Amino acid sequence: MNFTDIIALAARNLRQAKLRTSLTVIGVVVGVAAIITMVSFGIGLRRNIIGQALGRLDVFTAMTVFGADTNDMLALRGGRTALDDGEEEDAQDGAKPEDPPSTNSSPAPAPAAARPRRVLDDEALAEIAKLDGVSFAAPIVTFPSFVRFNERTRQQWAAGARAGDDPRLRNLLAGRGFSDENADEVVIKEEFLNGYSDEAFRRRRNRRGNSGGPFRQASDKSDEERKRAAEDALGKEITLYSAPVGDASPTSVFGIPLLDFPSNFPGRSDDGANEVRDEVADRSGFDRYVFRIVGVVKSEDGMGLRVYGRSDFYLPLEKAKRLREANVSPMERMGDALAGHSGYWAAELRVLDPSRIKPVTKRVTDLGFRAFSLANQLEEIERIFLIVNSSLALIGGIALLVASFGISNTMIMSIRERTREIGVMKAIGGSDGEIMRIFFVEASLIGLAGGVMGVIGGWGIDRVANTLANRWVLRQAGQAVRHIEFFSIPWYLSGGAILFAMAISLIAAIYPAMRAARVDPIKALRYE
Amino acid sequence: MPILEARNVTREYPMKAETVRALAGVSVAIERGEFVAILGTSGSGKSTLLNLFGGLDRPTGGEILFDGESLAPLSSREMSRYRLRRVGMIFQSFNLIPTMTARENVSLALAFAGLSKTERRKRSLELLDRVGLSQRAEHLPSELSGGEQQRVSIARAIANAPQALLADEPTGNLDSNRAAEVIGLLDEMRRRDGKTVVLVTHDQELAQNFATRIIRLKDGKVV
Ligand SMILES: Nc1ncnc2c1ncn2[C@@H]1O[C@H](COP(=O)(O)OP(=O)(O)OP(=O)(O)O)[C@@H](O)[C@H]1O
Ligand SMILES: [Mg+2]
Repeated sequence: MNFTDIIALAARNLRQAKLRTSLTVIGVVVGVAAIITMVSFGIGLRRNIIGQALGRLDVFTAMTVFGADTNDMLALRGGRTALDDGEEEDAQDGAKPEDPPSTNSSPAPAPAAARPRRVLDDEALAEIAKLDGVSFAAPIVTFPSFVRFNERTRQQWAAGARAGDDPRLRNLLAGRGFSDENADEVVIKEEFLNGYSDEAFRRRRNRRGNSGGPFRQASDKSDEERKRAAEDALGKEITLYSAPVGDASPTSVFGIPLLDFPSNFPGRSDDGANEVRDEVADRSGFDRYVFRIVGVVKSEDGMGLRVYGRSDFYLPLEKAKRLREANVSPMERMGDALAGHSGYWAAELRVLDPSRIKPVTKRVTDLGFRAFSLANQLEEIERIFLIVNSSLALIGGIALLVASFGISNTMIMSIRERTREIGVMKAIGGSDGEIMRIFFVEASLIGLAGGVMGVIGGWGIDRVANTLANRWVLRQAGQAVRHIEFFSIPWYLSGGAILFAMAISLIAAIYPAMRAARVDPIKALRYE
Repeated sequence: MPILEARNVTREYPMKAETVRALAGVSVAIERGEFVAILGTSGSGKSTLLNLFGGLDRPTGGEILFDGESLAPLSSREMSRYRLRRVGMIFQSFNLIPTMTARENVSLALAFAGLSKTERRKRSLELLDRVGLSQRAEHLPSELSGGEQQRVSIARAIANAPQALLADEPTGNLDSNRAAEVIGLLDEMRRRDGKTVVLVTHDQELAQNFATRIIRLKDGKVV
């Protein structure tokens, strides 16, 4: 008997007992739908979190290198300051206060692993840039500043970037990078424009925060609108208030100490009310620096992975270095002096290709720095998601396991009913193997039907849940957030779930099929 | 050389209290083209012997030979091939599959032999024509009379051209006219196609009218 005959026979048998078959199939449908819904949520979560990072073109080649900070230096020196250097060897150690509160200006949370041992200065950076596989290296230079744009002033983090090949300025919506590292030019991010809008200030005044929780998006505008807004911004000027470059910096402005809060630090009072008028600036002995917008970087949207203290605009690197010098806080200046520290807190790195991340990480670490790359973090996150998704699949799998008992039960009942038929088939020449195959095919048809309908059912549940969840998110975020897909059903999930349902069904059919094959035709055919 | 032979065959059923001896040393040889009727009282072992010839059962002692070859060494799969190709079984209760039409019942035997769907359709209609049922091809067994059902089962038995037809009280459920028709059909198969017929029956008259030889069993022995 060939395979199509067996399928036809099996299908016919299933049709003969429609109600029983349907009930059995429903059991499988529930199991498969559970798997699909659970795992598609896990995959969706992974995609929303990791996918955003993957969306960045350079995520697999980007690295950040951290040098020793003031604390590290003081710790390395055993608490002895640079000012102690000239003193006698027997100067008492214990007299110095240990671990002063951090004055580190790094806007990112300090990395947790082994602390760097070496200061990241220009010399070190040159060494790193020469490492095999490194394609780009630039110091991260950031400082807090007051920026006037569109007749409004905000406190913002300024950052420096290289002219030419800086990867941070690559994804431009309009314009170009810097012509020179001393140019009076600025490249802004799209968020910069949004941050100075009427809407943004109204929100800040109402203390609604500037984010919708973990749900963030660049803009609810269309791509053309975004591009037009970016092009309109080109050529406009921003004004940066700074302490006179080369002078000692002031300790405070209107009693607000120049501390290094990230610009979006929760609860920060950078409302529009803090506006500083030019005359005041002039009177206070501050300088005004004017930069012309030459480029607008496109912002990324998505969910999560919001980096704190990101800058919304870049100045040419050398300009930024000098401005930072003038505007760092006195505490930081003091720390640098005590620690003999005159390096950058971190540097931005790019490697030639993703395979270089590991060796470069090792080389950089060997040099005494700490290297961080999202690519390495992603591996960790991926592992967590694998565990989460497996657990979700397991829960769905249990539902399918329960269904498998239903399949066994159905098959055994049907074999009882069809004992005579099995006996006939054997008497007229059907082999044990053929009888067994008929029942295995019956089971896999149940698995296939249940699997396909389960995938459709799971997809339906996802659609409903996604609609409800988006409504909820909209209420929570209180702002226009683009529709978020919480679920994802890739082909391997639906295919895998159907195959799994068929496999479970086959396993459930092993015992019944063997029983069918063992039917004694003489007993089965005995005259009733 | 006999087509079917039983050599000192015993078939015992070990029961709780004692062992039931359905066959106690039976030796018979059936030649090609014979019409053998097996008679005997109820419980004398007629069906047991026929099932051994039909390859549905194996003896506990002695051996069964088909065309001079013992069935003892055949594997379970080879036994099913033997049932498919060598012998055709006909039962008192017809044993048609109730959810299949006459044609589908005949087709099933052809499907086990691996015929294609179109071949099966053609051949099963020919076979039903042979037993005079071409008008009833698409009827379910429940829509056929007893005699018609038995003729369908004969068509099924000869589907894969076996040399021997083994019928276990095929007329037990039929009136005497239908019975004579059915046995006449078997006799025609013997005469026209040279088939060997082994018929288990209680009906002395039928046996005397059609059989070329009568074997009598009593308490599991040939008498
Ligand atoms: N599976 C079995 N287990 C135990 N005893 C059995 C079994 N099958 C048959 N027997 C016994 O073997 C003996 C012969 O049975 P068999 O069916 O061959 O009789 P028979 O001649 O066909 O009778 P009938 O004319 O009533 O059909 C009987 O005594 C019966 O009880
Ligand atoms: Mg009998």
